[in-house]
Amino acid sequence: MGENKYEMILCIVNTGFSETVMDAAKEVGARGGTVIHARGTANKEAEQFFHISIQPDKEIVMILVPAEIKDKVLHALYSYAGLKTEGQGIAFSLPVDDVVGLTPATHVTTDTKEQKPNE
Amino acid sequence: MTENKLTERKQKIAVAKKQIKEKVAARKTHGNGNAVTPNKLKLLFTVVGRRKAEYFTDLLQSFEVNMQMVMLAHGTANEKMLNYLGLTDTDKVVIISVIQESKILDALRVLEEKFNTIKGGKGVACTVPLSSVIGTLIYGFLSNNKMVVKEK
Repeated sequence: MGENKYEMILCIVNTGFSETVMDAAKEVGARGGTVIHARGTANKEAEQFFHISIQPDKEIVMILVPAEIKDKVLHALYSYAGLKTEGQGIAFSLPVDDVVGLTPATHVTTDTKEQKPNE
Repeated sequence: MTENKLTERKQKIAVAKKQIKEKVAARKTHGNGNAVTPNKLKLLFTVVGRRKAEYFTDLLQSFEVNMQMVMLAHGTANEKMLNYLGLTDTDKVVIISVIQESKILDALRVLEEKFNTIKGGKGVACTVPLSSVIGTLIYGFLSNNKMVVKEK
């Protein structure tokens, strides 16, 4: 099985922080994403024990990125929308085998000097 | 007499060995040798405009997809860019379909064709491998293997 060209990054943040996530991701080369509304289910006992409250309204930001910029995007999400920020975001990536519907980008990025696909 | 018996036994053993070898070879050719389905399953993520959700779910059902989840979402395209293109609709749906690996090529080919030809049907689709499923009946259902359901 060959290496995956794309990775799907999923970032779960508090409602209202999807723009922060997209701004951070776009800064390092991501092109676009999709925001899904969701609801978190935190452990009530743990919340009481640690004296913290978890906002149940969440947004899941789904971003399809080339595999070579995956780490950069994850690092950016960790810094701008990670658990220590107001967005309290959790981000992870899934391997993507096949992709259709992405159009090639018209510009050349400075890092790899390769044409990046557009989302 | 004893020699005949010995040769008979040897012949039986040889036949049994041959059968075992054939069975092992047959399992290997069927991938993971699973009794439920030789096909692996994958998750197919399809992001399309909200108005086309029903059309694409119906389309995907024709590829032996038995379970789909539709989630309401919205795109993150720049407003300036949308105005420039004359678009106002950012409402989207994410369709997650459980599909057999063998059907993926055909499904993606058809999806790509529809994305390019249908007015307002532009979208993105990608597949993510599914590592495990619990329960043979569920696995049979997801992989559309009707042999799993035993007749009474």
